[in-house]
Amino acid sequence: MPKLTIDDLEIEVPPGTKVIDAAEQLGIMIPRFCYLKELGPAGACRMCAVKFLQGPFKGVQMSCMVDAQDGMVVSTNDPEAVAFRKQVIEWLMLNHPHDCPVCDEGGQCLLQDETVSGGHGLRRYLGRKRTYRDQYLGPFIAHEMNRCIHCYRCSRFYQEYAGYRDLGPLQIADRVYFGRFKDGPLESPFSGNLVDICPTGVYTDKTARFRVRHWDLERAPSLCIHCSLGCHTVANARYREVVRIEGRSSGKVNAGFLCDRGRFGFGYAAHPERPRNAKIAAQNVPMSAAVREAGRRLLEIRESSGAEAIAVLGSGRSCLETLGMVQHLSRVGKWTAPDFFENPQMERKVKAIVSQLDARLAVSLRDVEKADCILAIGVDPVNEAPMLALAMRQAFRKDAKVVVVDPRPIFLPMRFEHLAVSSARIETLLQVLLQVLRQTDLAAPPAPLPQPIQLSEGLLSEVAFDSSVQAQFHALVETLVGSRNPVILCGSGVVGESVSSLAADCAEVLQNAKGKGGIFYVLPSANAFGAALLASSPEHSFLDTVEGIENGTIQALVVVESDPLRHFPDGPRLQAALTKLQFLLVLDYLPSETVRRADIFLPTCTLFEVGGSFINQQGRLQAAEKVHAVGTPIHQATDEAMRSARGEEGGGKHPPRMYDLGIPGGEPKAAWEVLDALMEALVPVAEGTWREDPWEVLKQEIPLLASWNGRGYPADGLHVVPEKRPGAAVALPLETEAHTSPSEASLQLLLVDWTFGTEELSQYAAVMRQVEGEPFLCMHPQDAERCGLAHGDALEVRLEEGSIRASLKVRENMACGVMVLPRHGRIQWQELRNLSGRVPFECIQKISTDTQVIEDLR
Amino acid sequence: MNRVELQAMAETERNRQKAFQCRFLCCVGTPCLSAGGGVVQEALKQAIAVQGLDATVEVVGAGCMGPCSRGPLVRVLPAGGEEAIYEHMTPEKAGALVEAFAGPGCSSFPEESRISSDSPFFGKQVKIVLSGSGRVDPDRLESCVAEGAYTALAHALREMTPEEVCQEVVRSGLRGRGGAGYPTGVKWNLMRKAQGERKIVVANGDEGDPGAYMDRTLMESDPHRVLEGMALAAYAVGADQGYVYVRGEYPLAAQRIQRAIQAAERQGLLGNRILESRFNFRVDVRMGAGAFVCGEETALMASIMGRRGQPVPRPPYPAQRGLWGLPTLINNVETFGNIAPIIQHGGEWYAGYGTEKSRGTKVFALAGKVSWTGLIEVPLGITLREIVFDIGGGIPGGRSFKAAQTGGPSGGCIPAAHLDTPMDYESLQELGSIMGSGGLIVMDDRSCMPDVAKFFMEFCMDESCGKCAPCRGGTVQMVRLLQRITDGGAAPEDLEQLKELCLLLKETSLCGLGQTAPNPVLSTLRHFREEYDAHIREGRCPAGVCDLSGNSME
Repeated sequence: MPKLTIDDLEIEVPPGTKVIDAAEQLGIMIPRFCYLKELGPAGACRMCAVKFLQGPFKGVQMSCMVDAQDGMVVSTNDPEAVAFRKQVIEWLMLNHPHDCPVCDEGGQCLLQDETVSGGHGLRRYLGRKRTYRDQYLGPFIAHEMNRCIHCYRCSRFYQEYAGYRDLGPLQIADRVYFGRFKDGPLESPFSGNLVDICPTGVYTDKTARFRVRHWDLERAPSLCIHCSLGCHTVANARYREVVRIEGRSSGKVNAGFLCDRGRFGFGYAAHPERPRNAKIAAQNVPMSAAVREAGRRLLEIRESSGAEAIAVLGSGRSCLETLGMVQHLSRVGKWTAPDFFENPQMERKVKAIVSQLDARLAVSLRDVEKADCILAIGVDPVNEAPMLALAMRQAFRKDAKVVVVDPRPIFLPMRFEHLAVSSARIETLLQVLLQVLRQTDLAAPPAPLPQPIQLSEGLLSEVAFDSSVQAQFHALVETLVGSRNPVILCGSGVVGESVSSLAADCAEVLQNAKGKGGIFYVLPSANAFGAALLASSPEHSFLDTVEGIENGTIQALVVVESDPLRHFPDGPRLQAALTKLQFLLVLDYLPSETVRRADIFLPTCTLFEVGGSFINQQGRLQAAEKVHAVGTPIHQATDEAMRSARGEEGGGKHPPRMYDLGIPGGEPKAAWEVLDALMEALVPVAEGTWREDPWEVLKQEIPLLASWNGRGYPADGLHVVPEKRPGAAVALPLETEAHTSPSEASLQLLLVDWTFGTEELSQYAAVMRQVEGEPFLCMHPQDAERCGLAHGDALEVRLEEGSIRASLKVRENMACGVMVLPRHGRIQWQELRNLSGRVPFECIQKISTDTQVIEDLR
Repeated sequence: MNRVELQAMAETERNRQKAFQCRFLCCVGTPCLSAGGGVVQEALKQAIAVQGLDATVEVVGAGCMGPCSRGPLVRVLPAGGEEAIYEHMTPEKAGALVEAFAGPGCSSFPEESRISSDSPFFGKQVKIVLSGSGRVDPDRLESCVAEGAYTALAHALREMTPEEVCQEVVRSGLRGRGGAGYPTGVKWNLMRKAQGERKIVVANGDEGDPGAYMDRTLMESDPHRVLEGMALAAYAVGADQGYVYVRGEYPLAAQRIQRAIQAAERQGLLGNRILESRFNFRVDVRMGAGAFVCGEETALMASIMGRRGQPVPRPPYPAQRGLWGLPTLINNVETFGNIAPIIQHGGEWYAGYGTEKSRGTKVFALAGKVSWTGLIEVPLGITLREIVFDIGGGIPGGRSFKAAQTGGPSGGCIPAAHLDTPMDYESLQELGSIMGSGGLIVMDDRSCMPDVAKFFMEFCMDESCGKCAPCRGGTVQMVRLLQRITDGGAAPEDLEQLKELCLLLKETSLCGLGQTAPNPVLSTLRHFREEYDAHIREGRCPAGVCDLSGNSME
């Protein structure tokens, strides 16, 4: 390991470490603009110049370009280097507009800091400043090119790191322009990172524009709960309202970047219609009164119909504390076993996944970046867990092979092989793959691989795959056999229940031979893992509860931070069932349809107001801290007060001065606190076993947490998975049933997630309206032809009771016999009653391509 | 095609040419074409057709003959007789020329417009790279083969190992003709030893220096010379793919190279199993899009790969990790032009020309205030005086020589005091200039040196790729300071800042463009300091070029 001296301090660093990083390890922050560890050196800004006094290099050199080597003596504050850096600042400031007072970056601007600390205070250049025209880059990012200092971080991130092409450098010399070929929204769902990485105010957060100064912000480390990855964030709040989310670097999850859904999807927390008051029969009441009344009603039902007549439903968007309390309450109250999944199918899949993970197999998101072969099964990274696509891209940039097996039209910002086979066939393929892998000597694979290929040929011909899929599959086998660090990604949305265990078996076989690699699952919600750990009864699901309601055995339903009307696949059935209930108690922070139907409503807090713990899809227990105080955002309160005082809109927002409008003490509370209060009302203290600390409860409820002291996570969270998974699944006989015959006149309906517009929380953020697009569904050209449809047609899909309207996208890169429908927030997909999952052709009708009708659809 | 067939082709073509009573070679290089060479060629053809001499007289296009400012040029080759070159041809003169040579045994050359063959312009030149230029028809493979094209390749493939080819080039002492002068043989040997699945050879024809057109001429006049050189290089280093990177402003050169590649591939002189050996070498043309910086090898590679033409730091050098991560050999077009003669005649023969450290010949584009401008090839070590006063015919109008600018925007100015300096890599460097790619601009006493420096600085400012701060911002600042000097608004401390910036740019820029951008300023400051002082302290421009009243200041 090279040992070098920087400013008289010695340090030993791993080979390949840049001098700038070695200095950082010593606590010496060499000024930089273009260098970012994730992006690597570019040598563009020339700001990190230091003087090399001894060693293989001499004189002023860029510390980001030079690998640390033995015997180097480096001075970061040598007069020559300091003078040079001062000159660089002068160059960078030649054209900078000095508009800090109106720049959102002010206060957290690297250029400000370096200009002041670099000592450039006197302007010598008297020429005109070069100016640019700014572009419209969509609803997320504001563009101010005049401020640019040409560090190339944006284009390097956008093009090289993230793999999108529509933003980059144009022109040359001092006219270099960073932007798009023409105005338009950025195509990348990772565009928000430009805000974080731009060292000055070229790219600023449009949604937070002119709202805050950096030094006024309340900041706290938080987590992203818009998918199951659990990326680390910094939440920034002002006036009791989150205004901006930034990325936070984590050793195991995200490398400091975020996707746009996670960054801009926080609007649900300060939604103008967010219910902030407890309600009985839609009337605002004090919280304590509502809790008392709820307790009374529940006790009444217990008296009349027994404790089992009370059911409770939680969801994977609640923190672990809340879920634990739901479980506890239900057990102590001897209610029907709680459910944590609105969708019964999904519950089974998630439970299966959770039972597969062990400490050896489960790889983290950062491990995916290191893979040399990635097999993605039934997962659409960009749409389901966007940051996964970014991690895959990093592996791809290091020459990893990427293969996706999925029926959907998959797009990834990298080259990849796509086996577009139907969901049912994925299972068969995996079984073949597992057999091939088990029968191949993976540790010392035969060079031209005839044996595994022959094997898979034999097996595949048994199950009748067409030849192109076979060829792709052979290539996949070859890649996997030859890989050193293979990672298997597995989704939960469109694949059958057995796929997760098959995938884990494949990963285990590979890992046993290679010593590296593993499995990476994607779950449907932020805390689905935690919910699955708690969902003790494997037999019970929310479908049983619905049946119970229908046949009258369940009379009261407590819904905790969950929206079954949104997630339960058979909408009409659930709606009918809910009307039969005697009592519906809802605890939530979203203005959902379920909340509107509640007999009693109790408001709860968001993640930003109380913090909370979540277990991500890898089984990593991570915590978010409280960011700001509970209460109506002060701007909203002021607005509302002004409106009621003057009877007009706005007119008095500044200075914000109204601090509250509601009943004192009536603010929302953390859901687990509300549950705790409810428990108090239900169970006499003497006989109860409730405790105030939710962690004591959790340790009782989750055996994996029992030995843990309860507080103080390590920075990368706590990996709560068993040491060893229960054991490999038994090899199943191959399904030899033929491929869905083309004569069959129906399509399999796949309800899927999309980057924007389908995720529950971010849908409440106003800015998402602008990026979610119109509802659409996708079909393969063959299917479209058989239905007599063409790309762009407006369609109506009518099933039994409900119908949806959407435009058709014909996509070649998807499986035949499948209709892909994103669960767009503006269509009532629940009405399709997707329990059978098939749509006959005659139910798909073209309504009109007339523009007026399409306009009406909007 | 094999070696015997190649020889047969040459023989057939030579016999065909001999059968003509007279041959007219019309220059179809860009300078002559833009002076009306195309019309002249048509006129010649028509005159011959009218007189019914198609069978005995031939009119063909040929490459550059040298004195470009005197175009359109026509070379006349009567059977058995001596040859002559005619300048400033017009369609009318063309008719007269055909008349003169129409009859049998035309021994007398009309003297009108004839360039005397003993003119000193030709006398001191030694044509190695340009030996075929102006003699072969660049669009006809046979014509080139008749002049010996691909014989060196055939020889090497049959008689020599790749090591021996490298050794021959090492022996020749050939140095890179792109400007930096890195020994070509050494580069090839490194490249030969580099590990890679495949290797790539690139000819750098992105000639961006103002006033320089050596590579363009070679590609336009004798494309097979370049391709043969590349094929020999590929054989020597073990490459199987080549790219000719042609500057975007050279459509004609790109077209000629492209046609030459097709013709050579059809005949099995390029492509798979070249000359029925086991050696494969494909060549493709890549066009630039007008950026000067793409002459820098890392930027050039980015451009070939379809990326933005911006340099990246070296190491890794192209020979380690080049195009698509493969070892890549990049040489200038002119360098490749030297290879075939070296293999044909031996490295020692080549090393016989030039000086001890700078062997061989170099093509210069002689421009500016001299009587004879054009493309010349001279042995290295020739003095500047010989080039300017003998070959160039001196300064017209009785003016005095002030300076010669070599190396374009990366080079510097050589003052009259150093007229006897030998033109070789080291001597020029000592004077604060560089050999460069071969641009040579002669200035008389009416040139203002700060103004010249400003011109080159503006060029660098406009052509900076915009990646690193010193080159992007520093050039702007320097142009601004030079502007103040030539406008009469400068203070003495401005000159200090200018010098300071020069040194900073030199030391800290990312690539050669920025590192050498201050050279014109530094060399004029060194040799013509008094002119700067006259501008700043006395408020006068000695050459009378600058308006020092400050009127032109924005």
